[in-house]
Amino acid sequence: MDDATGAPMTEAPTFQDVIMNLQRYWADQGCVVLQPYDNEVGAGTNAPATTLRALGPQTWRTAYVQGCRRPTDGRYGENPNRLQFYYQFQVLIKPSPDDIQELYLGSLEAIGIDVSAHDVRFVEDDWESPTLGAWGLGWEVWIDGMEVTQFTYFQQVGGFECDPVPAEIAYGLERLTMFVQGVDSVYDIVWSKGADGVTFTYGDVYLENEREYSTYNFEVADTEFLFKEFADREAECMRTLEAGLPLPAYDSVLKCCHTFNLLDARGVISATERMAYILRVRTLAKACCESYMEHVVGQLPAADAKGGE
Amino acid sequence: MADTRTLAFEIGTEEIPAFDLKAATAQLAELVPAALDAKRIPHGPARIYSSPRRLIAIVSDVALVTERTVEEFRGPKAQIAFDEAGEPTKAAIGFARGKGLDASALERREEAGIEYVFATVETPEAEMASLLPEVLAGIIESISWPKSMRWGRMRQLFSRPVRWICALLGDEVVPVRFANVESAAQTRGHRFLSPGPHEVPSADALLDVVRAAHVVPSEAEREQVIRDGVAAAEERTGCTAELPQKTLTEVINLSEYPTVMVGAFDEGFLAVPEEIIVDAMLMHQRYFPLYDAAGKLSNSFIVVSNGDPACEATIIDGNERVVAARLYDAKFFYEEDLKKPLEAYVEHLDEVVFQEQLGTMRQKTERVAQLADRLALDAALDAAEQQDVARAALLAKADLVTNAVVEFTSVQGIMGSYYAREAGESERVARAIAEHYMPRFSGDDVPADTVGRVVALADKLDTICGLFAVDQAPTGSSDPFALRRAALGVIAIMQAGVGISLAAAIRDALRIYQEAGLSFDEAQVRGAIEDFFLTRTKVLLRDAGNAADAVDAVMACGIVEPIEVIERVRALEAARREEPEAFEDLAIAYARANNLSDAALGTGYDAALFSASEEALAHAVTEAQTAVDVALDGGDYAGALAKLAQLRAPIDDFFDKTMVMDEDVALRENRMRLLNRFTHVFSRVADFSCMAKSK
Repeated sequence: MDDATGAPMTEAPTFQDVIMNLQRYWADQGCVVLQPYDNEVGAGTNAPATTLRALGPQTWRTAYVQGCRRPTDGRYGENPNRLQFYYQFQVLIKPSPDDIQELYLGSLEAIGIDVSAHDVRFVEDDWESPTLGAWGLGWEVWIDGMEVTQFTYFQQVGGFECDPVPAEIAYGLERLTMFVQGVDSVYDIVWSKGADGVTFTYGDVYLENEREYSTYNFEVADTEFLFKEFADREAECMRTLEAGLPLPAYDSVLKCCHTFNLLDARGVISATERMAYILRVRTLAKACCESYMEHVVGQLPAADAKGGE
Repeated sequence: MADTRTLAFEIGTEEIPAFDLKAATAQLAELVPAALDAKRIPHGPARIYSSPRRLIAIVSDVALVTERTVEEFRGPKAQIAFDEAGEPTKAAIGFARGKGLDASALERREEAGIEYVFATVETPEAEMASLLPEVLAGIIESISWPKSMRWGRMRQLFSRPVRWICALLGDEVVPVRFANVESAAQTRGHRFLSPGPHEVPSADALLDVVRAAHVVPSEAEREQVIRDGVAAAEERTGCTAELPQKTLTEVINLSEYPTVMVGAFDEGFLAVPEEIIVDAMLMHQRYFPLYDAAGKLSNSFIVVSNGDPACEATIIDGNERVVAARLYDAKFFYEEDLKKPLEAYVEHLDEVVFQEQLGTMRQKTERVAQLADRLALDAALDAAEQQDVARAALLAKADLVTNAVVEFTSVQGIMGSYYAREAGESERVARAIAEHYMPRFSGDDVPADTVGRVVALADKLDTICGLFAVDQAPTGSSDPFALRRAALGVIAIMQAGVGISLAAAIRDALRIYQEAGLSFDEAQVRGAIEDFFLTRTKVLLRDAGNAADAVDAVMACGIVEPIEVIERVRALEAARREEPEAFEDLAIAYARANNLSDAALGTGYDAALFSASEEALAHAVTEAQTAVDVALDGGDYAGALAKLAQLRAPIDDFFDKTMVMDEDVALRENRMRLLNRFTHVFSRVADFSCMAKSK
């Protein structure tokens, strides 16, 4: 099968090539290449290297792969486009450089996409995370109609104004690789290919994972245990904050988020309860940001009560 | 005329959101001339251009030097301006300050024999080079955006980051600085086809340079390119495209160099309900669907690209993959949803909040079912229809928790009707589910069938009454639950013909809320809702071109049913159109009688005291009263009006021949009693005095 650009399939980068090329490219731009955060997160944005490091005046540049868990998106491995576990490639650069859009387009070239031979567009997409008290303006980036990246200038996190402003770039790695490899199912992505021709696909690596976790998330997870875990983690978060330790406290916020998502997938949270849970998580997240401002950044400006918009 | 040059000013940005760009372009057309005028800079017309990455103003004939001006202003009288000691008073100081002068600069001079103070204000000539930088920087800051942002270390706000500024007066750069960007004689082209930077030799050349760099620099031109492309595609495919305005505006402002292309998807996906496919294409991908000659959705679609036309095959292939993935999802959701009957989703409606204080969609469903049941009785539906109303009310919201509607929200109701049919519900129930959201906008159709109408009424009334009960009525421009639209929908449906009483329906809806445990001041809320409907009715009637006085005349009779108000206003307007003079006279006579009459005297006149003209009027009034009552009781408002019109001759004759205010108290009061009787005939029809006032 040939790519529409005329490049033979065999030349398309593998999934891991795409990752390594992006890491090399952003490393060359001065980014700290981190390894994935070892806690469940719903998006690369939620890892502390983005959420917390977006705060404060210090320069910060990072790029990392992040596995993301979205229990309700599970489809038992039967849908070629939807996964309950998938990968983002996350870039955060503070302050945002003047040529950040060009740098981003350069990264597409680095993974073999000739941007001048495609229709690449920046389509308005404002980002808001009520649970983080965060918002920003930016775009989703389309290549030939496919959304492959979220591009956001953070304006506020945890109720605090971001100054200077970071630019966040979040690539959907599976989508991007499907585009580059010209395949129509996520499970057909070529993950790796050895010199001897031995090939592993995304399906080889993750199909069983999707089946088992979909079953677990929707049918098996123990809801009583999860309700208790949420409450315990909430208490642990507050206790940790009292000790003036925002980083370990933030781990408990992530645990609460994931627990809540699992309960949601199990269908045991009613609509009215749902709002209450979101509020509880937001309270914790904001408290962590405040603590981070105080203990790590070393300043405690009054949080902007207006919410900035 | 002084020496002039063209001014070219371009703000180069990262991609501005489509609707914000449209609004900013409109603002600049006002802002640019206003900013020049404020500095007294003589200039010719200003033309505004834009693309997603730029806003451009071209102003012709901008003077290089402003003229020196001297203006004289007369101030207060000298005796007020100076006190006895000859010192300037507050009046003089204030006047001088208003003209930018010190009081000592005021002159005293006599005019028409009175001494005044005068201020002479001189504005020296100024070089454009000294004025324009500030003017242009001010324009950048004056554009207001629905949402704006900061970037980098900058404190300035704009829709998206500003990356270059091109500002030229003739061939000279106007130095402008904004957020660390300095102006230059340079622009940039299409991001991929001609990135640049490109030199701009002079202000007059800017547009040519931009155009040569693969940028179509105005909305109108891009729209034309797209419409021409669509026409060619229609010609080629034999299909017709649908171009809804919202999506079209977005598409126009999502490309600097639009090219229309045609893609296609697997025909197998056409088995999915058409509405989901169209939603996926229009809302999610900004494609335009193509319909075949029979009006059926085809498997071709139009995509407007911003890429290189030479790469059309690649771009189409990519878009086709995306749409296939979306439709695969849609098909997957649709088939998943069909695995359970629609009714099975009802219990999951408790996962969706309707409104915080009013509970979940499941609770709403229960209330709507109760109310619909009441309305069906009131509208005298037959047993089969009543059964269908109950069924449709139960199932109306069930699709909100199906996969397809969660993913493609605009197809709510429509998906429910597909699922209902598949689950073996009757066609009438299925239609009612689809149509109970109608009318969705002003001028939209109402549900076609009585069953759908009753469910739609119950749904809308439940929303309106509930939100009024929790004090969430619309205020000013804020109407987050679209209650005004819902009220107009209720009126439109009732007009189409559902025989229910709105007042009773409101009482029922509020009672159902009370029974569900919501507490509120029933009388106060009910009054507010009735007023709300009457106000909507009034606006509706005026918007439809009915005279305000006719609307007021009918409303003054205290009618609360919008349909009755509407029918009466129409009949009154029609009668007045047919016999304009008769109605004008009648209104004048009524007003006159109304002014003279004294309600305290009652209507018990003594016929023995009558003259011939009084006798004739009394006779006509008695006859009219009976006829009007009969007509109104039979719902014949036009007939009642016709009867009233017949009073014109006797009342005119009465006023011609009778002096009401006779010195004889007995005669006078008897005549006033007759006039009371006369005005009473009108009381159930319309307050004619409203119509006389405006004449």
